[in-house]
Amino acid sequence: MPLIPAQPSANPGVKKDMEAVASLDRDAELMLRVREGDDTSFALLLERHRGPVVHFLYRMVQNPSVSEELAQEVFLRVYRSRATYEPTAKFTTWLFRIATHLALNWVRDGKKEKGHESLDEQVVDGVDRQVRDRQPTIEQEMLLEVKMTEVRQAIDALPAKQRAAVLMHKYEELEYAQIARALSCSESAVKSLLFRAYESLRSRLAHMAG
Amino acid sequence: MNCPTKQNEDAEILLDYCAQTLSPFETAEFEIHLKQCADCSRLVEAQKEVWGALDAWTPAPVSVNFDARLYARIAREQAAPAWQLWLGRIFRPPVPYPMWKSAIPLTVACALLTVGLYVRMPNATHAVQPQLHADKVDIEKVEKTLEDFDILTPPAQAPAGSM
Repeated sequence: MPLIPAQPSANPGVKKDMEAVASLDRDAELMLRVREGDDTSFALLLERHRGPVVHFLYRMVQNPSVSEELAQEVFLRVYRSRATYEPTAKFTTWLFRIATHLALNWVRDGKKEKGHESLDEQVVDGVDRQVRDRQPTIEQEMLLEVKMTEVRQAIDALPAKQRAAVLMHKYEELEYAQIARALSCSESAVKSLLFRAYESLRSRLAHMAG
Repeated sequence: MNCPTKQNEDAEILLDYCAQTLSPFETAEFEIHLKQCADCSRLVEAQKEVWGALDAWTPAPVSVNFDARLYARIAREQAAPAWQLWLGRIFRPPVPYPMWKSAIPLTVACALLTVGLYVRMPNATHAVQPQLHADKVDIEKVEKTLEDFDILTPPAQAPAGSM
């Protein structure tokens, strides 16, 4: 969806903030407008980040309904804190910090109900649907499903923090500094988390080569 | 260049190479190294396979009523009494602030207060000591006096008709 052109704000405080973030972040600019009561900007932020946040949470918790619930909570928290928002970092960093915090809490609290969802997952994953569109043979479809199950299991077997780091690095393409802020740790700790996580994935998925 | 498999601090270059986030110069430099180093070459191949496997995992699209549900929740929240909104802001921040972080300034303040009190009353401990010493002397004197009394006092004679 194309973004609406930025309108100059009448509030001098907002003007100053916007100058500060002008080169930093388009999303932060939109969020400053939300702070001023512009709900259209919130709709734009939602449009831009709904997919990445839901998909990140889905890969974290591997449960479609829970991931959407958590994503709703993320955007609700963003909207709730609009009045106190300060553009001190990239908007996506803040957004994924909230999402990671919620996901890690959910994982920590042991709310996993994988048994109820495992059958549904085969149906809802995008890959399986794409495969059906191309009319693959039953064998191909089964092979791909097995492969995807192994990838999901390998990701799920990672410690929660490593999993979050890999997902933000691989799928959301966040920088090390952003991942560090989202996970409340140092950049070197993130690099170490990622290296260990990919090492585990390499050993778990080695047999899938070729 | 240092071999990433032998130097832990350079290990990120492997990840960045597979993620294609290296600059063209760094990429070219690393590719020269790859041609000479079998260990790195193997690691990159394995990492690329993992990368490919992860690429294949695409999640389902978001529900069509996601926004409607979210706006309904926002509307419900806005219709709530003001005191609930205030409580929500206090007890449900976007990301809770770690409690130990607020304990740091408190601990520093307590330490400074303790040091300040000590500096302000440096003789406080010395002032007590003479008193303790005096008590000790007094006790010794009392003991000595009692002993003198025992020596001076003639042994008690048994009353005549008691036997």
